[in-house]
Amino acid sequence: MTGITKRTVLGATAAITAAAILPARRAAAQTYTAHEQQLYDAAKAEGEVTWYTGQLQAQPSEAVGHAFTDRFPGVRCNVVRTTSQVAFQRLSQDYRASVAQCDVFSSTDYSHFTFLKREGRLMEYRPVNAAGMVKAAREAADPDGYFQVTYLALYLLARRSDNLSEADAPKSWRELTDPKWRNKMAVGHPGFSGAIGNWAIMMRKAYGEPFFREFARNNPQVGRSAGDPVTTLNAGERMLGVAVPSAATLFSASRGNPLTLIYPTDGTLMVAAPSGAIKSAPKPNAAKLFMEFMTSPAYSEATRGFYAESLRPEVRPPEGSRPLDELTLISPTPEEVENGIPEVRELWRDIFGV
Amino acid sequence: MSTALGKSVVATPPRRVSLARRIGRIEPVMLLWILLIGALLFLVAFPLGKLFLVSFETRGTGAFTLSNYVTAYGRARYIEAVVNSLTLGLASATIAVVLAVPMAWAVSRTDMPGKGLTWTVVLGAFILPPYLGAVGWILLAGPNSGFINVFWRWLTGSESPFFNVYSFEGLALVIALNAFPLVFIFVKSALDLVSSEMEDAANILGAGTWTAMRKVSLPLVWPAIMAGFIIVFLETIALFGTPAIIGIPARINVVTTQLWQFFEYPVRVEVAAAYAMPLLLVTAGMIATQKLLLSRKGYVSQTGKGGERRPIKLGAWRWVMFAWCAMVGMIAVAMPLFVLLQASFAKAWGRGLSLDNLTFANYYLLIFEHDMAMTSIWNTIWFSATAATIAVLLALMVAYIVNRRLVPFGEVLGFLALAPFVIPGIVMAIGFYAAYAAPPLSLYGTAALIILAFAARFLPIAYANSSSAIRAVHPEMEEAARILGSGRLHAIRMITAPLVKKSLLGGWLIVFIVASRELSAAIFLVGPRTRTMSVLLYDLSEAGNFEVLAAFGGLLLVVTLIFVGIGMKLVGRDFMLRRG
Repeated sequence: MTGITKRTVLGATAAITAAAILPARRAAAQTYTAHEQQLYDAAKAEGEVTWYTGQLQAQPSEAVGHAFTDRFPGVRCNVVRTTSQVAFQRLSQDYRASVAQCDVFSSTDYSHFTFLKREGRLMEYRPVNAAGMVKAAREAADPDGYFQVTYLALYLLARRSDNLSEADAPKSWRELTDPKWRNKMAVGHPGFSGAIGNWAIMMRKAYGEPFFREFARNNPQVGRSAGDPVTTLNAGERMLGVAVPSAATLFSASRGNPLTLIYPTDGTLMVAAPSGAIKSAPKPNAAKLFMEFMTSPAYSEATRGFYAESLRPEVRPPEGSRPLDELTLISPTPEEVENGIPEVRELWRDIFGV
Repeated sequence: MSTALGKSVVATPPRRVSLARRIGRIEPVMLLWILLIGALLFLVAFPLGKLFLVSFETRGTGAFTLSNYVTAYGRARYIEAVVNSLTLGLASATIAVVLAVPMAWAVSRTDMPGKGLTWTVVLGAFILPPYLGAVGWILLAGPNSGFINVFWRWLTGSESPFFNVYSFEGLALVIALNAFPLVFIFVKSALDLVSSEMEDAANILGAGTWTAMRKVSLPLVWPAIMAGFIIVFLETIALFGTPAIIGIPARINVVTTQLWQFFEYPVRVEVAAAYAMPLLLVTAGMIATQKLLLSRKGYVSQTGKGGERRPIKLGAWRWVMFAWCAMVGMIAVAMPLFVLLQASFAKAWGRGLSLDNLTFANYYLLIFEHDMAMTSIWNTIWFSATAATIAVLLALMVAYIVNRRLVPFGEVLGFLALAPFVIPGIVMAIGFYAAYAAPPLSLYGTAALIILAFAARFLPIAYANSSSAIRAVHPEMEEAARILGSGRLHAIRMITAPLVKKSLLGGWLIVFIVASRELSAAIFLVGPRTRTMSVLLYDLSEAGNFEVLAAFGGLLLVVTLIFVGIGMKLVGRDFMLRRG
């Protein structure tokens, strides 16, 4: 598809307006490491990279795509943003049809990667830049170099600060089964969101299956993405967001929405969300280059504006987020994720009906 | 076009050399017939046959098994989804009939004022894609911040919402509000044919206006009402977007959302196929029932004798009818469109109309920052245009051959061309995925796969349209040309084609418009580069970001309206609503 000409035809007026209003995107002189330069030259011939991602929300994902192309002009990033389970579903459909379309795959479900690695679907490529990442990211990466952690995501509670005071708000996950939260909560869906799958595993581990039955009785509004409750809260439809991503919440609050994070006393969920290049990638060099990009400071700079935790020591954490070492963190182990997600997904569907 | 298509798709059967000479002498129309059969087999029969076969295959090995059916129907939740779909279909179809029949009667038979407005309402509801209507109704009737419920609480001080869209009733109503134009179009065109003499006869025998309507006019159009009911039922059980957007928060699982679950890892096409089979039986059953019920005949309203048509004078009641049409217009079109527009310019839709809530960021994001949004608009336009072209050309040739009885067994062609009508889009997509996604054709992720699926899915519309266009041209004109020495193809080009041009253009535009908003047939077939607007809208809807969704919906409507405008200009104001 010759995207550029067609877009020009379509958005002709829009583009002209844009040219007038927007400051031209600065083609700042970029400096590359020798390794990046080598990959970049090869990737330029490929021209684009296709990235299936379920990590950041739609808008930051698009911004990452643009940041990549800004850093490596001539290599377009084709962002396919869905929830993690849907991204994996599309990847599985590709495999089933024996058609390779995806270059880099990112999700919030760790077991996707252990599975893909076991099936020999991932490219063995350890980005050079990965060595300079923060410890938490390095430790959760694949020891054999098949995938890296590109999103240290925190999932917690969020309240509408204008109609739910800090004193009245719940302090922990446990309290969510209290009938007083009936019709007040919103949550994502483990059949779509990898993060909600992780969360459900931790809840089942801590409080058992009855937690879900009691939680369901409180009739939370079930969306699909973990980020869905953020917009539900903004609209005033519900007042308490459950297992919402800190990044999307803080970003929305920075835009003037009355949202405040609550760090649950029984643990903020941290999900180390991986990315990996696909072995059968149609654009293998661009895939490697994109992996280099995601492990480089440029990526953390780009996502910092959207309140994602920094993955590089040289990039400051986003404004308003609490330092990780102050928090009580909970995370499922890779084994728990691998066995647990299919189970909690079924459990959820049996209880919620969808 | 069709020749190219035919060539690429027909597996040329091995011919014996001894036949070569005979083949050489075959009329070109026979070759065309063979090509058409090939094209229809490729588009319709093969994907369906493959779906059927796959439902008995073991994943991976392909060995025969019945276990897919056991899996597909082995859980209460899966069966419940089927029950939900059927109930929903009946509910939506009933609501649609209740909404549309009085409107159709009022427009066709009475002196109700504001008929033009009613047309606009029907056209508006027809154009609005179902999932956008669904989003509009979430904004209107979300239990806490929906505008209707906020207003209700303010008015009455009540704690509970007036109407919760996240419910079975909500889902059924939203679907019906989008689908009622189908009933309207059927019933109105049937009522148009009923001559006033029939009602006069009833009046003379002492029946008032209402009795005449109840006992004469409506029973005469009973087949049309039933056809409308069945179409809405079929549309409802095939719908994917609305159940995904409203049904998940409402905790209602239906067949289409369940089919989607079978596509989760590991992609269980086999189970999905098995699950879809009874759905096909249900649709076939519906059509059979319709045939059976109507077989008594006696619905003749058109006779050779005159048939004057006068509007019935309703007196004060005409304002009641007008109020009904206006009410439907409000809830089906005006209100959802208004809130969508509001949301598309809002920072947070629930904050309502105020200056500090106004933003262009949603449009800005889509037009400048979202790489795929503009590409998807272009994809939508050219996929739909190509699919419409293929469908109309194919349908035209089939219709010509069938109507002119040029070959034996022409009806087979007609049957194949109409068959997709009863196949839910999502099932068709699964058939296409099973048949053509993988090697040898490896069409997965290509534009061709989506275009072909769209062409097949909307072939019946094109066929109905072409068939009526061809029927309207008497063969004697062609025959005159042929007597004067013209070949058949030349006669078609010089005489028939110009005569049917306009109505074909109308058919093309209808296929284009319905294809441009099609979600369920595209959802399993798109690749990263071939996402359409509807699929991108669906992807965006996952995070419930209705402001951006509304803005994107606004762009989609602009594109659609441009084409509707072109159609009205070229083909006539009512081209969308004329019954082919």
